[in-house]
Amino acid sequence: MSQIENENKTGSSAIPKQGRRFDPIQRFLLSNEFGLIVLIVVFAIIFSTVSPMFLSKFSLYALGRTSAVNIMIGFSMMIVIVTGGLNLAVGAIGVCAAMAGGWLMQAVGLHWLPALMGGLAIGGLLGAVNGVLIVRSGLHSFVITLATMSIMFGVMIFLTQAESYREISPAFTAFGRMKLWGVIPPMLLVTIGIGILLWVLFVYSSLGRQILAAGASPAAAELSGIHVDRMIVWCHGLSGVLAGVAGFMLVSRTGAAIPSMAGQLGQDWLLPAFLAPVLGGTLLTGGRVSVLGTLLGGFLVTMLTSGLLLMQVGAFWMQTYLGLLLLLAVLLDLARRSYLSRNKLV
Amino acid sequence: MTDIKKLSTMCAAVAGLVLGTTAAMADSSTRVALVPGGPHPYFAAWELAGKDAAKDFGLGAADYKVPQKWELSLQNQMLESLVTQGYNAFLVFPGDPVGTVAIADELAATGAPVMALAGCLKDPSQAVFCMGTDTGNSAYLGTQELLKVLPKGAKIAHFTGFLVDPNTQLRIDAVEKAASEGGAEVVQVIADIDAPEPAEEKINAYLAAHADDVDGIITTAWVPAVVASNALRKIGDKRIKMVGIDHDEVVLGAIKDGYVHGTMLQNPYGQGYLGSYAADRLRSGCTVKDDAPFKSIALTDKFIDSGTVFAGADAVDNYVSSMQNITKEIFDGFEDTYLNCG
Amino acid sequence: MKREFLKQDWFGPFIVTLLAIVIVGALKPSFLSPFNIQILLLAISVNALVAFSQMVIIAIGQMNLSVGAIGGLAAISFAGMMEIWGLPWPLAAVLSLGIGLFAGLTNGLLCAYTGISAFVITLATLSVFKGINLGITEAQPFYDVPEVVKWLGNATMVGPIPWLVVPFALSAIALWYLLFRLPLGRSVLAVGGNTHAAELSGISVPWIVVFAHSVSGLLAALAGIMLVARLQLGQPSIGDDWLILSFAAPIIGGAILTGGRVSVGGTCCGVAIVAIITQVLVLFNIDPFLVQVVLGGLILWAVSVNRIREVREQRKAAAGAS
Repeated sequence: MSQIENENKTGSSAIPKQGRRFDPIQRFLLSNEFGLIVLIVVFAIIFSTVSPMFLSKFSLYALGRTSAVNIMIGFSMMIVIVTGGLNLAVGAIGVCAAMAGGWLMQAVGLHWLPALMGGLAIGGLLGAVNGVLIVRSGLHSFVITLATMSIMFGVMIFLTQAESYREISPAFTAFGRMKLWGVIPPMLLVTIGIGILLWVLFVYSSLGRQILAAGASPAAAELSGIHVDRMIVWCHGLSGVLAGVAGFMLVSRTGAAIPSMAGQLGQDWLLPAFLAPVLGGTLLTGGRVSVLGTLLGGFLVTMLTSGLLLMQVGAFWMQTYLGLLLLLAVLLDLARRSYLSRNKLV
Repeated sequence: MTDIKKLSTMCAAVAGLVLGTTAAMADSSTRVALVPGGPHPYFAAWELAGKDAAKDFGLGAADYKVPQKWELSLQNQMLESLVTQGYNAFLVFPGDPVGTVAIADELAATGAPVMALAGCLKDPSQAVFCMGTDTGNSAYLGTQELLKVLPKGAKIAHFTGFLVDPNTQLRIDAVEKAASEGGAEVVQVIADIDAPEPAEEKINAYLAAHADDVDGIITTAWVPAVVASNALRKIGDKRIKMVGIDHDEVVLGAIKDGYVHGTMLQNPYGQGYLGSYAADRLRSGCTVKDDAPFKSIALTDKFIDSGTVFAGADAVDNYVSSMQNITKEIFDGFEDTYLNCG
Repeated sequence: MKREFLKQDWFGPFIVTLLAIVIVGALKPSFLSPFNIQILLLAISVNALVAFSQMVIIAIGQMNLSVGAIGGLAAISFAGMMEIWGLPWPLAAVLSLGIGLFAGLTNGLLCAYTGISAFVITLATLSVFKGINLGITEAQPFYDVPEVVKWLGNATMVGPIPWLVVPFALSAIALWYLLFRLPLGRSVLAVGGNTHAAELSGISVPWIVVFAHSVSGLLAALAGIMLVARLQLGQPSIGDDWLILSFAAPIIGGAILTGGRVSVGGTCCGVAIVAIITQVLVLFNIDPFLVQVVLGGLILWAVSVNRIREVREQRKAAAGAS
């Protein structure tokens, strides 16, 4: 769904192509984002018909809370994919930031706000270290972040001896369990808020435009006076901060900073990290981004999982159904586009 | 696969033992969910245990629900979904002793009894109790069994699971403690190998380089136990003594053939069966006694040992019946010992 | 002539491998004992096939996230067919390879004819294949692996060289011949280098994509089958750990993720480097809490040695040109 090149995106980076000119509404109807919205609605209807409990307050609340974290992880990866790179260390950085925050709260005894800031700063710093290493060495971000994932996670395990920090301030943990109007988790609002900030960054700020230009064609960007290296360090730093935010969301939800929250080496985060932006129409080759798409993509995947869990489809076979649903989803989207264009409906 | 057959004969036997003693006062609205941390052969017995318990005690359901990956977030999502599906009692293997506390508390807040099964939650938590294996103690006892067949001043190697799991640290400490008490030395700890490929690579590399420098091996995770059993059989070295963990056929076979000294067994069937029973009792009005004789272990003060037994070559064949006996023993006294059923 | 040799993709990783062998061998003589060489070769044989499986897809500029899932599925099919249906092992092996081929073919067809990125397709099929694996096994291993297979997984041919090296060596030679000597292989690299140009020059891009994915599936299945022989049981979790290694080895060996440039020799060296690093962590009795740190540091060292050489070459070339 992402690599159909000859198509305009509603995303910020849309570069007008020759051919028919679409008005904004038509363009939206052809976009990835609209496709995802259609899929979300279709699957929501299916799930709620088969299992009415899907729309119960608790179920919706749980869905919102889980997707808030998954979308955040997706944002963290998205910001690096924009530059044409990858960040395998998102999970490791997220855990390091969260553990640093936990340490600041428990061992140092800080209030949760400065501890949060400290943790996010660590996340940003670790991300920036990745960026600097990539820029200085000229090696692919894949190799660098593969190695730093191991190093960062290893240092964290060594320093903490895999012990958790449980003395998290109650105000902070209450946040993870809070329900607004009975259904809305405040974490989801945080995610949406950060999404809006990112959207503003890419659409309205010159920094965002420079990042996109650097991702689309580093050589051309360099010629037009953009410091490509600086953009890469910037993006990795921001990716680290966002991974930290996702880590803190999990801390707030589990009421403790635990080393295993993203699995061995933080690898559990990799799939949601890639899936959300790629489904959302961010190109792996860089230079194109869709914040709304990432948000919807992360939500769609979380919803498919929770729908399947609710429908109780064959225990051990669940992953197969999840994979098939994912295929079905992308194929449906493909069919929608070709139907629209064949019948000249847009 | 034959494992399952063995277990099902065992279940039938336990069911027979139990049926005579109870049947009354079952609450058929009880829907128990048995949720492991992820797909793993250890938990296979839970499925049968749940079915048997549902039949024997007339429960509404006692279903085995497996998260598809060993991921904390996926287990959480599954538990949330099970609440929505109307399950009202939860037997959970904590994906992380601390990380699972929050979701356990949330489950308990819905009024459902929650028990940590096989492994424990770290106190404080809203779990009624923890029934399973004291991971540290099991490693400690296993090391002691190993030292019995080794000369004084022996050198042992320890192969274990993922360091992110706090239980691994408990095991490392316990093996170290038992070794120093027994006058032995732990010369190397290899961790993070609870997956077949890295276990195969690292254990074989270790034996290739250090087979002559080591007298004994203790393994405290499933896959390393299997791989190390095979590796010892491969090099045909019966000088190195090894104590494994759990009931994988490879390990049991190696014990019978003399390549492995013995294994530390746990009682997964008993956990599932007794847990389902206890959950139903708690839902039909019983409460946990204030002075219930729980044991204290590193993680929690509300611990019931579901049976941790060392099995050597002589005991491998009838480990099933020894586990049955333990299960029956705990079951017979369970209500009187732990519950107030006014 | 000498210059050409130095510029080969595999040369840098090869130097790193030699350097590592010399250093480790000097510090720990037991590293070069026949038994240890056997263990090292066993590890390299299987891991190299995993890496090749990904390398073929990297060559066309795509990613295959489902290598591990295909390998795992083939592994448990192999063991399962022997245990449950009692099939003789060669037949079970061929059928499992067929399953791998079919899985790869499915990936290829979906990628080629829908235009959806391989990343998304293989992510979805990863889930499908792993789910089938768990559905069949319910996480229980298959134990009844015939003695012949167990023997093949252990036995040595000459000196410390195990039999499992044979499938690895054959695949390496076949892949090298295919990619660098046959027109078909040149088409594969051309598609990876510049899809559009390849299309204009008359190459059928969809067919090449289907072909590459099928080969990838086949190689992954072969790795899975070999692991069953090595582990002596059909463990359902085979393949769960492959993803990172499958990318790391080709990339350490000089492959470029955007496609068009891969090296069979370089990938082999990449695999060897990773295997040696793994052994070093055990041989030198690294504190388990520091293993991950050392592992990451050594990977950085391995790639930076190669990188420094590259930069030097470039500088020399620039100096020569001016």
